Amino acid sequence: MSKTILSLKDISKAYPGVLALDRVSMDFTEGEVHAIVGENGAGKSTLIKTIAGAHQPDSGLVGIDGKEYSSLTPKESRDAGVEVIYQEFNLVDSLSAGENIFLGERKGRFVDQKQIKKDARALFDRFKVDIDPSTLVRDLPSSMQQIVEILKAVSKNARILIMDEPTAPLTLTEVDTLFGIIKELKKQNVTVIYISHRMEEIFTISDRVSVLRDGQYISTLQTEETDKDELIALMVGRTLSEVFPERAQPSQDVVLELDRVTGNGDHDISFSLNKGEILGLAGLVGAGRSELAKVIYGAEKLESGTIKINGEVCSITSPSEAIRAGIGLIPENRKEEGCFLGMSIDWNVVINSVRRISSGLIVNKKQEKRISLDFEKRLQIKTPSLAQKVKNLSGGNQQKVVIAKTLAADTPILIFDEPTRGIDVGAKQEIYRLMNSLVEDGHSIIMISSDMEELLGMSDRIIVLSEGRMTGELSKNEFSQHRVLELASVHVSGQKEII
Amino acid sequence: MTEAVGKTPSLDISGLFRKYAIFFVLIGIIALFSILSPYFFTFTNLVNIFVQQSYVVIAAIGLSFVMISGGMDLSIGFQMSLVGVSTAALARWYNVPLPLAMASGLGIGVLCGLFNGIASIKLKVHPLIITLGTMTVYQGLSYIVSKQSVILNLPPAFKFLGQGYVFGVIPFSVILMIICIAIASFILNFTYFGRYVYALGGNDEATRLAGININRVKLIVFGICGFYVGLAALVLFGRAGSASSSTGPGTEFSCITAAFLGGISFKGGEGKIWGLVTGAFILGVLGNGMQLIGMGTYSQYIVKGFVLLAAVGFDEFQKSGLKKAKK
Repeated sequence: MSKTILSLKDISKAYPGVLALDRVSMDFTEGEVHAIVGENGAGKSTLIKTIAGAHQPDSGLVGIDGKEYSSLTPKESRDAGVEVIYQEFNLVDSLSAGENIFLGERKGRFVDQKQIKKDARALFDRFKVDIDPSTLVRDLPSSMQQIVEILKAVSKNARILIMDEPTAPLTLTEVDTLFGIIKELKKQNVTVIYISHRMEEIFTISDRVSVLRDGQYISTLQTEETDKDELIALMVGRTLSEVFPERAQPSQDVVLELDRVTGNGDHDISFSLNKGEILGLAGLVGAGRSELAKVIYGAEKLESGTIKINGEVCSITSPSEAIRAGIGLIPENRKEEGCFLGMSIDWNVVINSVRRISSGLIVNKKQEKRISLDFEKRLQIKTPSLAQKVKNLSGGNQQKVVIAKTLAADTPILIFDEPTRGIDVGAKQEIYRLMNSLVEDGHSIIMISSDMEELLGMSDRIIVLSEGRMTGELSKNEFSQHRVLELASVHVSGQKEII
Repeated sequence: MTEAVGKTPSLDISGLFRKYAIFFVLIGIIALFSILSPYFFTFTNLVNIFVQQSYVVIAAIGLSFVMISGGMDLSIGFQMSLVGVSTAALARWYNVPLPLAMASGLGIGVLCGLFNGIASIKLKVHPLIITLGTMTVYQGLSYIVSKQSVILNLPPAFKFLGQGYVFGVIPFSVILMIICIAIASFILNFTYFGRYVYALGGNDEATRLAGININRVKLIVFGICGFYVGLAALVLFGRAGSASSSTGPGTEFSCITAAFLGGISFKGGEGKIWGLVTGAFILGVLGNGMQLIGMGTYSQYIVKGFVLLAAVGFDEFQKSGLKKAKK
């Protein structure tokens, strides 16, 4: 009955090593709220970027209002009435809410502050938002900034409005405000594409919901005809394809214990890590997993709570203390945090431990050579020479260098943050084997991963975080993708206000 | 990475040329001035260039520690001014024994450096901005210490630093310069601290996560810079034979240019001492050569300014060249 405003036909987009979108075809009708769900890496972000023209698909057509584009540009997308609200804020801090909304809109020679204020006020009133247009954006709480961001997009008279996790920074009351805005937009026949991990929101606001999985379009359902279980089943939908080797049972000796650890955005996290165990840390992007890793590693401040190593309370205030106490971290972003791209492989491999292999001030180059040769063999780093600069290596080999660098410091507790992100299958398998041999040697591992197969296949236990809080602990016999995803999308930020 | 495996020797030669291009530039301008002026390529003149550049090289080495670690120091010129007049004032006005006065001067240099370091750590601002501020502070201090006067007749042993010859032929300042080069190369290439300096400049967050105390590295690097700059000041003032607060400023310009020419990038994490020294000598040869062919002081400024621009461009050229070589 209502007409199709946006249609995607056979959109494919590949990145090195991943097929982000695989022949996706979808239709969006005028005036509907259409939710898109999928796990991390299902292709949602790529899909949005394709509609916004930020990425050109490798093949396929984007049709807006009957006009088809094979390589849509950001300008064409905008002119056709598409507005995207990304997760990052694109506001100018030092300007007022009103000025931000009409930034770049007004022609004319001078800025007419009065007019801006009046128009912004009208917009805010229309959507029943209580913000003074002349407040500077930096003085607004981040939730209100998000509302300004949304209204900025709305003010462009968009016909298709894409919201990527709009409620992430919002508290419950503001979510209501947002829903008010969306309902108002619907009345004006605007199509809203709504991306969220939060199931309850999808069921409150959307008319239809589409599921993506591993870059593929799975199906579109009428929201009122489906339920949470069905959606999760569709999102997960696959069986484990990789074979993860069996390992011996970890011992019951606790090597690391967190008690109500708070800091860096995480609250009251308590769990323990046993000797010889791989403990999976699951959660959605932004759940606070890497943040927690940095607190344990002393790179960020522990605000309250205690961390015990081998039963003794440790106050670790810097990474060097963490290494001395026996904790090593393999960071998430290998290029930003992990390695020194302009330096050679051997230089990188020993940098965490270079002081230990020095006699006095002087680096023992023989030791350096021995250690890096050893790791080159053990991790099968593929390179013509150890003098090769790390930036010339493939992603998988770079990751091995980062791992080697942490292992060279010889710490019994290891935190692997996304150890296999963006690397090919072969290298993945090698890293899994390495992790297994490490725990068999008596190391204990905390593994942060967004890769569900890896998480379920490698972990002995899984701790799930959501929004900076621990929402569950699963032992091996309770493992299921469904259960992890359910715990990972628990909405807990309401509790913050109570506490 | 496969292309690296299949690298042919001919590619390596062009890569080598690119890597040592700065060295060929130096040889080129030496050849040029040798043709333009009969006085240029003579033993006396070449020694003269060495003597003239020795203090620049010493100060630039100090700066290179800061720059390789990703920082910058604009205040070194006025640090030199402060160190020089303080040493001279202590020795001449307050009759402090010369060795003690010189040690105090070096100490003041180290303190100036440490202060730059502490300020940039505590205020969490790029040292470029910090030293823009401290530069003015050191200028003020220098003029207060010197009472805006010229301290004449520095003790002979002080002058020896800048003017003296060992065995009658080898300038003492050049020996000092060579020792400085050797020590700095040793620290940067053979010690774990040297690794930390490159690490910090290459990727500060990765350095922090590698368990290295980056604030300590920053502080030491600035301390080393202050020490070298203090030493450079003693050489410069010794050569001048008298001390005034206007001696020293401007050195930062030569040092920064030499560093860029020598492949130490603004972002840090790379660069070698030999490159820096070559860079400093390019400046020295240019200055000396332009003087010999009778170019005016102000035209020389213009040339030197363009050399700085060229140096920055050259930095980019080297990098883009390397990138291309990889493809």
